[in-house]
Amino acid sequence: MDWVLLALIAIPIGAVLVFMLIPSRYPQLVRNVALVSGFAMFALSVLVFVKYEFEGGSGFRFDLQLAWLENVAFLGKDGISLHLAVDGISAPMVLLTGIVIFAGVFISWNIDYRNKDYFVLLFLLVSGVFGVFLSLDLFFLFFFYEVAVLPMYLLIAVWGTSSHFGTFTRPKEYAAMKLVLYLVGGSALIFVGIFATFMEAGQGTFDLPVLGAVTYDENFQKVVFPLYALGFGILAGLWPFHTWSPDGHVAAPTAVSMLHAGVLMKLGAFGILRVAITLFPEGAQFWAPVLMTLGVTGALYGAISAMAQRDLKYMVGYSSVSHMGFVLMGLATLTTIGVNGAVLQMFAHGVMTALMFAMVGAVYDQAHVRDMTMFGGLAQKTPRLAAFFAIAGLSSLGLPGLAGFVAEFHIFVGAFNTYPWAGALGILAAAITATYILRMLAMVFFGPFNERWAGLKEMRRGEQFGGALLIAFIIFMGVWPAPFIDRISESVEFILRVGASGP
Amino acid sequence: MEDTGSIVAFWLLAALTLGSALAVVLIRDLIRAVVLLITSFLGVAGLYITLSADFVAVVQVLIYVGAISVLMLFAIMLTPRAGRNNAETFFRIPGILLAGLMAFTISLVSLDTDWAVVERGGFEETASAIGEALLDKYVLPFELAAVLLLVAMLGAILLVHPEGTDEE
Amino acid sequence: MDSVNRFGPELILLAMAAVIILADIGWALAGTGAERMRRPALGALALTGTAASIIWSALLIAFDEQGEAFSGMIRVDDFALFFNFLFAGTAAIVILASIDFLRRNRFVAEYYALILASTAGMMLLASTIDLIAIFVALELTGISLYILVAFMKDGRSSEAGLKYLLLGAISSAVALYGMAYLFGITGSTSLDEIGLVVSEANGETRSALVLAMVFLIAGFGFKMAIVPFQMWVPDVYEGAPTPVTAFLSVGSKAAGFAVVMRIFLTALGDGSISSDWATVFAILAAISMSLGNITALVQGNIKRMLGYSSIAQAGTFLIGLAVVAAADPQLLLGTSAVLFFLGTYAFTNLGAFIAVIAISSKIGSDQIADYAGVAKRSPLLALGLTICLLSLTGIPPTAGFIAKVYVFNAAVQADLVWLAIVGVLNSVVAAYYYLRVVLNMYTAEPASEESIQPGYYLGLAMVVAVVGLLVIGIFPSPLLEASEAAARVFG
Repeated sequence: MDWVLLALIAIPIGAVLVFMLIPSRYPQLVRNVALVSGFAMFALSVLVFVKYEFEGGSGFRFDLQLAWLENVAFLGKDGISLHLAVDGISAPMVLLTGIVIFAGVFISWNIDYRNKDYFVLLFLLVSGVFGVFLSLDLFFLFFFYEVAVLPMYLLIAVWGTSSHFGTFTRPKEYAAMKLVLYLVGGSALIFVGIFATFMEAGQGTFDLPVLGAVTYDENFQKVVFPLYALGFGILAGLWPFHTWSPDGHVAAPTAVSMLHAGVLMKLGAFGILRVAITLFPEGAQFWAPVLMTLGVTGALYGAISAMAQRDLKYMVGYSSVSHMGFVLMGLATLTTIGVNGAVLQMFAHGVMTALMFAMVGAVYDQAHVRDMTMFGGLAQKTPRLAAFFAIAGLSSLGLPGLAGFVAEFHIFVGAFNTYPWAGALGILAAAITATYILRMLAMVFFGPFNERWAGLKEMRRGEQFGGALLIAFIIFMGVWPAPFIDRISESVEFILRVGASGP
Repeated sequence: MEDTGSIVAFWLLAALTLGSALAVVLIRDLIRAVVLLITSFLGVAGLYITLSADFVAVVQVLIYVGAISVLMLFAIMLTPRAGRNNAETFFRIPGILLAGLMAFTISLVSLDTDWAVVERGGFEETASAIGEALLDKYVLPFELAAVLLLVAMLGAILLVHPEGTDEE
Repeated sequence: MDSVNRFGPELILLAMAAVIILADIGWALAGTGAERMRRPALGALALTGTAASIIWSALLIAFDEQGEAFSGMIRVDDFALFFNFLFAGTAAIVILASIDFLRRNRFVAEYYALILASTAGMMLLASTIDLIAIFVALELTGISLYILVAFMKDGRSSEAGLKYLLLGAISSAVALYGMAYLFGITGSTSLDEIGLVVSEANGETRSALVLAMVFLIAGFGFKMAIVPFQMWVPDVYEGAPTPVTAFLSVGSKAAGFAVVMRIFLTALGDGSISSDWATVFAILAAISMSLGNITALVQGNIKRMLGYSSIAQAGTFLIGLAVVAAADPQLLLGTSAVLFFLGTYAFTNLGAFIAVIAISSKIGSDQIADYAGVAKRSPLLALGLTICLLSLTGIPPTAGFIAKVYVFNAAVQADLVWLAIVGVLNSVVAAYYYLRVVLNMYTAEPASEESIQPGYYLGLAMVVAVVGLLVIGIFPSPLLEASEAAARVFG
């Protein structure tokens, strides 16, 4: 089973090479290759998730270490190796990525404009995402992090759409550049943090388990923790550095929005957990109130902003900010249940928001507008679309029986145990979420039918299949969350126990 | 440089060199400037002699006073539209300040420093010593200088060739 | 014979330059019948010269022939050999990129001869250990380049050549003045002996040493193109023929760094003075990076933009020099960081300029705005230029990423955290203007649909550069080991 993790990274890269070899006059061949490799990634990620068992200790499984740089002066003797492994936290994340990319291939089926280049960039992005989730080497984690971020730029700038708001236009180039500059700025902070850690640890290696065994000076932890928290936090939509995210999501083509909101933002939260909280427990303790405050603010701010949107996609974009605020709240509790909730929310929000973006895309592809006030009663015309959209929305507002409920429940319990005020404000944000989701559903799918949309057709088959896949996991996790919670909680306990045992 | 004669000669030559160099900068008329440059070069040649560097002094006269200055005069005369005047520049004041600062720093440092002085008794002719050094220890730079001249010649031909670079 | 043997890599370049000139005369005598073959054959000769030079350097390593030559004028060690490969490789790529560029040019032979002579000068700059030889090598490099810059003989090229000549002459005079000071203090022109005297010096010579150091930095700063000696860069880069610009931005800059490392680490490496120049380099690094990047933001001409970006990159190399002064392990770290960065930068910048040659010669403009939609007209060229620009930004999996990591890591290890932070912030600024070009190529509508086909040799040069920087990005070990071996010379 050692090969499986390497295969997860190698498959998208291999697919990229294959795409490059296919002449661009065979778009269908490109799609088929994308489908096959997308399925392979999906199957492998399911395999990883199912086969994963906690076996004590750090819980890392499928450990694979390939030496890359050894005995060079700037590193010391151990150098850098491609160290891959999964634990209970990354296993669901890997599964999430597999699901979303497989669904994303279906959603992207109809992209005609240079579809080869599109899939090249999309798969490059996915290889980076897998790399971040799987890397146990800080250097490679950062390496893959950058690989994941950059393709976004072209994906948005070339295949995206500009937004027109009557009085002004928000061009897609603006959104792309804003996104990249924010994220590069964030990675600059991480970069400094990584080298500070490397120096302070003095182990001559970037290997996370080795670095994790070191006890860092308390003041050092206090200084370095915010570097990572802010650097990764920018990608996780940390308020007030979230503004790239709604713009970026809206401008991006559908499948990219799915991957971006569904998976890429999770990289940020994952980075905070994997690096910052694991290595610097005292720094985390020190900064937790701040992180909690920012998380709550983001959750509330995102929810209120989402309520103010008329544009469907902006609404979903702001709801992502809001939900990522919940994730940060969960992390900031630093309790098992709260962090469990954060990881669950990462998964739940990932599938849910991917579904939501897919459905918005399905509407927009036909209607070419996204202003929710212009629709009405679409459920009569497109019942399946309405149903899918409703399921995504209901999960988003935390309806019991769906994925979102499980996650948010954990987070709120964790928050009430540590910061009751934050828990209360979080519930308020969830209530606002319910308001805007229900209002949107009512406006778009129910009520009197708007005759302008008489020609509207049901979703394409690919969209239906992709949507159904995502829904299956929303319901699966909502009804039977045990497989997720088992895997996550043991690893989380390990991380937090390490934190408690520090001097 | 103990004897009075050398000291007097040094100061006279130094005054000649610096004075005419200053005049080169200040005088507007290009031709006069070049002539003053020649006297400055001559002053330098004289300084070389006080240092017992006879060969370098002669070369200085031959090349700088003889060849280069004459070349400059020709260039000025043959350039039809070259005004005979140095134009005013914006950088006059900053230039003077910078030069003053440099002169001050350099003289301060020079006076302050414990130089590696080579003591030589009396006058020896240096031409053969230089010749031996050039063909023995310094043969590489010497030969490279030949390559350098070849390259410069190549460039001169290329740049003044009346035809354009592209063939039609 | 050892001397000639060790001088072989340079000698063969100079010999080939002479052969090319003679062969050209031969063609002129042979009449017009063989005219068609003239340019490709001369190009092939020049390439053979660089290849032979590389092979000779490799043989010197294989037969363990390192050592001094010409009574202590040059020292062929791992450091010199590293640069032999770098310069000969750069020259080879530039020659490849020039073959199509010179398709209709009359003075092909002179062009190649000058490139080869300049390359030999650069190699010498890295290997000489005597001030006199350094100065002659500096002039040999410089004069060949002045002529090459003015090679097109049109208004802009001539202006650029004149500007480069004037500033270059002043800067070598300043450097020479610095060397004269060193000689005056120590009574020797040999770097080793100077280093010995400096390390035993008492306080009496300290101020003169600092002054010499300042003059040397000012003189060689021109070659390295660092602020505040960068004024010539944009105009010369814009006016020079683009292959020459590529050569300038890589070869000449690397030669500047080579000679600065040689002088400062050998002659001025003593702790009493090295902390001074390290501070100067740290400050210049910060200024060069910031000023270069900020000015690059507003450039509309891609050659000017790459010019300013090369100033910023030079600032990044300087971080490595600033690191050197700290304790012993850092000595190796800083020097090898600069060497590794120079190696990656050579591939990256050559690749970028080759793409510019191919694209600009077709669309007839160097304006970034005119690069609109190039991705549609030539997907491969656009991809290549994008990879090079990503490498300049420092994005994985390109070589630039590893180089950036290396240098900033060195800075952090030497307690120059502030410098690392300035560098990292600058890379954010740089991302903006590099990506702007990428954006324009991929999203804007092209002015015409006509496809852009680079010539065969140009394409080959591009492939070499891009593949090189990707290979270094993914398997950096060989270059890392080579740069560390080269750095160990000063250890």
